[in-house]
Amino acid sequence: MMVSPRPETGSNPEAAAEYVERLTAFEARIARGEKIEPRDWMPDEYRRQLIRMISQHAHSEIVGMLPEGGWITRAPSLRRKLVLLAKVQDEAGHGQYLYHAAETLGATREEMIEALLAGRAKYSSIFNYPAAAWADVGVIGWFVDSAAILNQTMLARSSYGPYARAMVRICAEENFHRKQGMEIVLRLTQGTASQQTMVQEAVNRWWWPTLMMFGPRDADSPNTPMLVRWGVKTRTNDELRQDFVDQTVPEAQAMGLTLPDPELRFDAQAGRWIFGTIDWDEFWKVVKGNGPCNEERILARRQAHDDGAWVRAALQAYGTRQEQAA
Amino acid sequence: MTDSQLPRYEIFIVERPGRPPTYAGSVHASDDELAMLNARDVFARRPDCHGLWAFRAETISSRTADEALSAFEETEPAPRERYLVFGKLGHKGVPTFLGAVEASDPDEAVGRGRSLYGQDVVLWWVAPERCRLATAAEDAGPMFEPAKGKPFRDQAFYPVETLMRQLRRARTHKQERS
Repeated sequence: MMVSPRPETGSNPEAAAEYVERLTAFEARIARGEKIEPRDWMPDEYRRQLIRMISQHAHSEIVGMLPEGGWITRAPSLRRKLVLLAKVQDEAGHGQYLYHAAETLGATREEMIEALLAGRAKYSSIFNYPAAAWADVGVIGWFVDSAAILNQTMLARSSYGPYARAMVRICAEENFHRKQGMEIVLRLTQGTASQQTMVQEAVNRWWWPTLMMFGPRDADSPNTPMLVRWGVKTRTNDELRQDFVDQTVPEAQAMGLTLPDPELRFDAQAGRWIFGTIDWDEFWKVVKGNGPCNEERILARRQAHDDGAWVRAALQAYGTRQEQAA
Repeated sequence: MTDSQLPRYEIFIVERPGRPPTYAGSVHASDDELAMLNARDVFARRPDCHGLWAFRAETISSRTADEALSAFEETEPAPRERYLVFGKLGHKGVPTFLGAVEASDPDEAVGRGRSLYGQDVVLWWVAPERCRLATAAEDAGPMFEPAKGKPFRDQAFYPVETLMRQLRRARTHKQERS
């Protein structure tokens, strides 16, 4: 596909020439590996795409607290409860880093949160699936956080400085999320027969949704060429999805777990795992708001927001009084 | 729906004792005290935070390297105050505290910063020192100690690599015997 950055100049030839000059300088900066900072000139489309991606990423962290959050009170030991609390708290923090990065582009926190609560904003499709059993908490850490680390390690090289720096911080913390999940899964695979069944069932539930989490096929991702050209992304959805499969299949084999894909086989020549066809109808259904938990997730966020209204009102009143006293 | 997410504060953290504060991101808060507590919750969940600075976002002035070239003109003597100067060193750097200067306005502060701290800075930030909130030595306990008691936030806490190695070894062994 040809990429033609949208001109932002109307029909004024002088403005058009100046735009081309600025765009050329901007692309040369990216080619040199420089980071673009908030006050630097950037094409409107670069800003628009980044606000879209970063706010969706922030919402994903916030909604991502919900599937696992329900297991905090039901964690099987105090140790597991502490770990899960810390993980969910990290996700709240990651949402804050990302909302901050989007704010540097001119988006406001109020607009972003309103869009999420109104159901207009997108977030990662994976969080619209339920965490049905305790083993799901382990498998989410192993699959979903591994997938997130692959995506975010790529984004840590992004051309936009504040986004790249947020990713560096997040990746360092998410290795804990992946490891705690793998530890739960490992212990369950070595446990009783019913624990082994529970963890295998959780693997069966989360495998395909995790593959979908990388987003549509490259052929169906119209934004990808522009995002790659401007250094926002350095790898495509399909490349990252393949990396995840190649990393995860040997881990599952070592743990004695099977993956729910009869077509899964190793291509020795390419050194890669070939996997079956993703159910894209299911993917689009979930993205468009009709997954198993979309409605529940938004209702939970709205309720949390409404329940916190009196706290925000009190804080604001106190803040105003402090300012008046000063 | 009308809602306010409250004023924004820019946060700097000291990641190693004795190192200058570096820019971490922002938080929203209704007053200075809560800004520091929110900054702790967002940026000091792990033990590698030894100090926090916060500024109301609008108190920081920012100049690109090009703007800094033309910014500073000697003008009529005016009342001066201390400005804290931050610079992003190189294109991959993070805004980092460089030092303090006396200046009558942000442009003068950037100009003085430029002559003191050199040419490698690609982005300048300055803010009056009176606008800075900072953790004091006696705050270190309540602010930073809690993160030290949570080793499970570190990936090294989980013996996953060892367990995986054992499993792989056991598998190879079984395959060799069959």
